[in-house]
Amino acid sequence: MSAPALAVCGADAAAAFRQYICRACGLIYDEATGDPDSGLVPGTRFEDIPDDWSCPLCGVGKADFEIYVPQARVAQAGSPSHAGHGRRDELGVVVVGAGAAGWQMARVLRERDANVPITLVTSCSGDVYDKPTLSVALARAISLAALVKETGAQAAARLKVRLMAETHAISVCAGTNALRTTRGSVRYKSLVLAHGAAPRPDPALPADLCWAINDLRCYAKFRQAVDASGEAQRIVVVGAGLVGCELANDLALTGHAVVLLDVADRPLANLLPARSSQDLLDAWAPLAIEFMGNTRVKQVKKTDFGMSVETDSALVLNGDHVLAATGLQTPGRLAQSAGLAWNNGISVSTDALRTSVPNIFALGDCISIDGQATRFIEPIARQAQVIAAHLTGCAPPTYTHVRPLVRVKTGSRRFTV
Amino acid sequence: MSAVLQMAAAATDAGPARAQMLDAVRAVASGSLAAMVDEIDRVGTYPESVLRELGKAGAYRAQTALDGQPDFVAAIQAITEVSRVCGATGFMVWCQSACTLYMEKCGNSVFRGERFERHVRGDTLGGTALSNPMKAMTGIEPMLLKAERVEGGHVVNGTLPWVSNLGKDHYFGGAATVVASGQASHEIMFMVPCDDPAIELRECPSFAGMEGTGTWGVRFTNFFVGSDRMMADPVRPFLDRIRAEFILLQVGMGLGVSQGAIDSMWDVEQQLAHVNQFLEDRPAALQVELDALADRTFALARIASEGGQPALLDVLDVRAHASELALRSAQSALMHQGARGYLLSSAVQRRVRESHFVAIVTPAIKHLRREMARLSSPVTPS
Repeated sequence: MSAPALAVCGADAAAAFRQYICRACGLIYDEATGDPDSGLVPGTRFEDIPDDWSCPLCGVGKADFEIYVPQARVAQAGSPSHAGHGRRDELGVVVVGAGAAGWQMARVLRERDANVPITLVTSCSGDVYDKPTLSVALARAISLAALVKETGAQAAARLKVRLMAETHAISVCAGTNALRTTRGSVRYKSLVLAHGAAPRPDPALPADLCWAINDLRCYAKFRQAVDASGEAQRIVVVGAGLVGCELANDLALTGHAVVLLDVADRPLANLLPARSSQDLLDAWAPLAIEFMGNTRVKQVKKTDFGMSVETDSALVLNGDHVLAATGLQTPGRLAQSAGLAWNNGISVSTDALRTSVPNIFALGDCISIDGQATRFIEPIARQAQVIAAHLTGCAPPTYTHVRPLVRVKTGSRRFTV
Repeated sequence: MSAVLQMAAAATDAGPARAQMLDAVRAVASGSLAAMVDEIDRVGTYPESVLRELGKAGAYRAQTALDGQPDFVAAIQAITEVSRVCGATGFMVWCQSACTLYMEKCGNSVFRGERFERHVRGDTLGGTALSNPMKAMTGIEPMLLKAERVEGGHVVNGTLPWVSNLGKDHYFGGAATVVASGQASHEIMFMVPCDDPAIELRECPSFAGMEGTGTWGVRFTNFFVGSDRMMADPVRPFLDRIRAEFILLQVGMGLGVSQGAIDSMWDVEQQLAHVNQFLEDRPAALQVELDALADRTFALARIASEGGQPALLDVLDVRAHASELALRSAQSALMHQGARGYLLSSAVQRRVRESHFVAIVTPAIKHLRREMARLSSPVTPS
C-alpha cells in the first residue's frame, strides 16, 4: 500500500486524539500511536489514513472502523442491555437429603405444582424406607431388601424429580444461589435443607469400631455383620434412649445377648417416668438384656476376641459388636457456609420454617425451633406442607409446633409418650 | 497491651507491606510480563527474568515467617495478579511457592538461612514434583520413583513425565517409595538439584497450552539422597501438615485466570452488550461469584497464616470452585468476544487453555470431588 509520510502539524496535535475500533476484530486504532508497521506515524488522524489501508489484525478496510469512546465500566454495568442474562435451565427447588423429610418435601411440592423443577441431592442411594422400622426389623423378620419400599430411581421417576444420588452437598453459595456438591454445582431458586442429623462424635466411641445406626446404609452393614456370623452375638449397646432401647429390644428378641449401658440410672430416663422405666425393665426380665445404669464408657478397643468396652469404673465388657446410640447432632457445614442463623440446629421461623436467608427453608431433624431440636417423624409431613405452600405461592397453612406423640417400639413392653 | 490488641496492631502493620508488595507484583505483571505473554504462550519462552523480578517484588516472601507472621492471603493475591495476566507464569509462581513451603517447613536446616533467602528473592528458582506422590497417597495412581536404602542415605531411580519451573540450575522437591526386598515400606521426600549428574532433563511433548513453563521429563539414575537433601522421612505426616497451604496457594491461579477472563468480557461490553446480554455467565454475575470465592479462600488462608489448620473439606471446596469458575469464565469470555476472541493471538484464546490447565492440574476437579466425597462419607466399622 502507499504510505505517505504524514507530518503532524501543530494545529492537529492540539485537538484530542481519538480512537477507532475495528467492527470485525475489535482492534483499536489510536490516532496518538498510529500504525507504524503500516507507515502511519503516531499522530495520524483517522481521516488522513489512505482508503487502501486495512486493519493490521484482520485485514478489513478503513470503512469497517467506527469511532470508539471508551465508557467507564460502571456506566456499562448500568445500561439496560447489560442487565440481561441467558439461562442454561430454569431454576427450581433443590432439596438436600433423601430421608423421610427430603422425599416428603419432594412429594408434597409435586402435588402442588406439576412443573416446578425439583432436584434432590443425597449422599445415599435415595432408596425410600421407613426409618422407625429399622429398630424392629429383626423381630419382624424383615429382610434388608424388604426394608426398601421403593428405589430412589423409582421414586424420582414417579415424582419427576432429578435425583443426584451418592452426591455429597459440600457448601452453599447463598449469594449466587448455588449448592456445591461432589458432582458439580446446582443452582436453585429455593433451597430446602432436609439433611437430618448425624451421630454425635464421641472420642470414647470411635466410629471405626462402633456402629451408629442412623440410616439404612449403616443399618444394612450392621445387619450383614450380625447375620454373617450365623449365631447369637454378644452386643454392647451404649445409650438407653429411644434408639438404644428399641435396638436392644429387637436384638434380644431374636436371640442375641445385649448389655445396655447408660449414664442415667434407668432406661429412657429422658422420656419416661421412673415407674415406666421399671415396667420396661420388668418386661425385659425374660430376655437376654442386661441393663447397667450410671455407667460411662471410657474406651472401646478391638482385641483378638472381638470388641472390648472399658467403663469409667474400670469394668471391661467383651462383645462381638458395639452399638453407639448416644444421641444426634445437626451437621453445621451447609448452614455455616450459607451464613444461616444457628441455634442448636438450623434456626427456622416457627410459622414458615424459613431460615435466616429468605430463599432457604429447612425441615426435619436438622432444624431447631426456639432452640429446640425435635427429631421425630410426625411433624415432618406438616412441615413439608407449609414449605411447599410457600414455595408455590399458595396460602400457607401455619405450622404449629407441638411436641409429638412418641411411640416406644420396645416390643416387649410398648409405650406411647 | 492485651494479646488481642497486639494481634490487631500486627495486622495493620501487615497491611501496608502487603499493599506495597502487591503494587510491585502488579507492576511486573502489567509491565515486563504483559510484554512477553504472547511469546511465552506461542514460542514457549521460559520467562526466567520475570520470575526473578517477581521474587524481588516480594511475591515469594509473603508466605514465609521471615518477616514475622506468614501472610498466605498476600501470597495467594500475588499468584492471582500474575495469573490474571499470564496463567502459565502464575503457575510457575505457585511452583516456586510450593518449593518455598517445603524448604521452610520440612525442618532440615540446610534449606534455611542464605539458601532460603536466595530462593524467596527469586535469585534461585525451584519447582515441585509432588503431583504423582499426592495422587499416590490418596490411592489414585502408583508412585513413580523408587528409593533403596544404601550406606549413608538412599538411591532413587525412575522417571517423572513432567515437572515444571525447571532449568539447568533449578531444583525441586520430589518423593519416592522406599522399597526393601521388593516391598514398599514408606515414602521419603528430598530436594533434587537439576544439575546433578544422576538427573537428566528430557524434552516433553508439546502441550495444548502452558508452554514456557520450564516443564521437563526428569529421569533419575541412581540419584543419591543423603541427609543434606532429605526433606521428610516419612512423607505422609509432612504432607498432612502442608496440604492446606499447598492447595490454597493454587487457588490463586484459578482466581487470576477467572479475573482475566472477566476483564476480557468488559473489554467488549461497550460494543457487544446488545448481543451479549443473551449469554449466561455475564461479567457482573461472575464477578460477584469470584469475589465471594476470594473471600472464602482468604478466610481459610488467614487461619493458615495464624498457624492453624483450615478444614481440609473447605480447602478442597474452594480449590474445586476456583477450577469450575475459571472454566466457566474463560468459556464465557470467548462467547462474549466472539470472533475477536477466536484469533490465535487473543488473550481469551490463551486463557481458555489456561483454564483447562487449572482444572486438570493435580488436584484436578475429579480428584477434589473424589476426596471430598471420601471425607464426607461416614466412617463405620469394617
